[in-house]
Amino acid sequence: MNPNRGKSKAPDRRASAPLPSKRTLEKELSKGATGEHLKSVFQVEEEQDEEDSQRLIMNFGPQHPATHGTLRNIFTIEGETIVEADVEIGFLHTGFEKLAEHMTYQQWVTVTDRMNYLSAINNNVGYAVAVEELLGIEVPPRCQALRVIMSELSRIGDHVLCVGLQAMDLGAFSVMLWAFEKREMVYDIIEAVCGARLTTSWTRVGGIMRDVPPNFADEVYRFLELFPPLHAEIHYMLKTNRIFKDRVQGVGVVDTETALSWGLSGPIGRASGVDLDVRRDKPYLGYDQYNFEVPIQDSGDSWARYLQRMDEIEQSLEIIRQAMATLPSGPVVHEDFKTSLPKKQAVYTDMESLIHHFKLVMLGHGIRPEEGASIYSSTEAPCGELGFFVVSDGSDTPLRIRIRPPSFYNYAIFPRLVEGGMISDSVAILSSFHVIAGELDR
Amino acid sequence: MSDDTPPPETPPGDASPSNQQPAPHPVRAALPPLIESRILDEVTHGGQTWFIVRTPDQRAILEHLRFEQNFEFLKDITAIDFLGRDTIERFQVVYVLYRIPDKLNIRLHAWLPEEVESVPSVVDLWDSARWSERETHDMFGIVFDGNPDLRRLLMPEDFPAFPLLKDYPLKGRGERRQFPLVRPRGNEMVEDAPLPYPVSIGRGMHTPEYVEEVQRESKPRKK
Repeated sequence: MNPNRGKSKAPDRRASAPLPSKRTLEKELSKGATGEHLKSVFQVEEEQDEEDSQRLIMNFGPQHPATHGTLRNIFTIEGETIVEADVEIGFLHTGFEKLAEHMTYQQWVTVTDRMNYLSAINNNVGYAVAVEELLGIEVPPRCQALRVIMSELSRIGDHVLCVGLQAMDLGAFSVMLWAFEKREMVYDIIEAVCGARLTTSWTRVGGIMRDVPPNFADEVYRFLELFPPLHAEIHYMLKTNRIFKDRVQGVGVVDTETALSWGLSGPIGRASGVDLDVRRDKPYLGYDQYNFEVPIQDSGDSWARYLQRMDEIEQSLEIIRQAMATLPSGPVVHEDFKTSLPKKQAVYTDMESLIHHFKLVMLGHGIRPEEGASIYSSTEAPCGELGFFVVSDGSDTPLRIRIRPPSFYNYAIFPRLVEGGMISDSVAILSSFHVIAGELDR
Repeated sequence: MSDDTPPPETPPGDASPSNQQPAPHPVRAALPPLIESRILDEVTHGGQTWFIVRTPDQRAILEHLRFEQNFEFLKDITAIDFLGRDTIERFQVVYVLYRIPDKLNIRLHAWLPEEVESVPSVVDLWDSARWSERETHDMFGIVFDGNPDLRRLLMPEDFPAFPLLKDYPLKGRGERRQFPLVRPRGNEMVEDAPLPYPVSIGRGMHTPEYVEEVQRESKPRKK
């Protein structure tokens, strides 16, 4: 590899210049130094220079194909070894939390799907669950089941894409193409359900946008039929691949103690043996009705994170199967229209619904949780635990919404992991962490 | 908020109905009495409990929770700005803790006066506090004493304000105009004149003199 590749021309704040010789000389001469002493001063300086000249500051990102997002990693390298690593984030910082203080509870749903744009449904659901917990309302069973099915579909799409990109970064390009093809099936269903592929804005506080189309069940069953063989194909391609295994096994090892302390959650935490899953520990949306396992690995390296995602896809398929078999019928929006939007058709034809709609949508009316109430609500997103801390001041806009983004905590440990390793290992680690920049910076 | 509310002795969490405290929370009961007496209030809402303390006291409680009560997972650190509201202090620093064996969530809200701007850091207890404290510092200007790396995280290093404060306007104060524009010219990076500021974005939040000055500056140059 060309050592100058990726080398930045822009001045870097960490590139502190070595001691200037001329100034040192003048300083020493002014002190009255002569002969041997001066020689020793220059000796030290030369050694310093030599050490510094072997080091190179390399910017890995923000526009590097292997970062899969706008992340800047600043590596100080000696040859191919990373001796010091630092990261700089915030390139996609959009002030979502500030925006929340100026929008109503219903309006902010659209902002949540800009966070993790690969699994927007999970963000929508997480936010809706948080506000519903704050208001103390429970959505109807059909809405719960549909949210579970869509979340799990979205999780499968996210995991399969991550596996594909992990393989692509390590040279297995065809796996990425296969993964994209499989993910397309998920997006077809999402598009059929809510009309958008990425920025879904599917949930509402107290329910969902509208009921699913009539062919929804057929599409999901078709997916359940077609996806497992393709999943097995990808798994077979990678788990028997000597090159892939050599690149990921024993790379980026995080032990359980470290993972807990750094707050790693989701597939990355569970690959390190942190036995945490919000779906099982604090069941929301009726996850306790479904019979599923929480897979866990103990080696904590990139290989374990790959295996973890593949295992979780199987469990998600299992949850979808159970949820589809027991999908109840009925309304999809909470009955109390003081907090949830009535149907559009009813708004046009029914006076009562029109009043409710008006009161909810007009600024200054809207949903009003009780003053001083606050809740930290968490759901299991594909990257890890997605938390929303919502504080109400009794008005229709929240006093504060804090997002606990899983990628943020997962990425914080990344500089520690790559230090002492090779540049190529950093690619293997970063791709297994699956950091979404939109969620990281918010 | 309204001015006829009772004197600001009680925190806003008191609005919660379950404030009679029939029995203290098990986590609170397990605290040593010297530390437990520092807790101002205990509030429960929606099945979640949080304790309210004043600022330097949370360090002792968090240490006890970490080492004696085995809360090994710090989920989040953040802050709330209560500017213009009837509260005893302006800021609250919030810690969200989790205990894995019994799946218990606990929050600690620490009041922080506006004039005191430093809070004891907890990076020695949980490593996950490193970035969350950095972000809280970045957004609110709160200094965490003992955090070894308290640089700005999401905002640029030379950003002059703290954007999540309630007195910071949603559309900013025109900081983007202040950034020097650096362009490559030949082999060098040359600092350019700042971009003309689009006045329509800033209208309504600047003084008329300022808008006038900006309009004067952003007139098209004659060729």
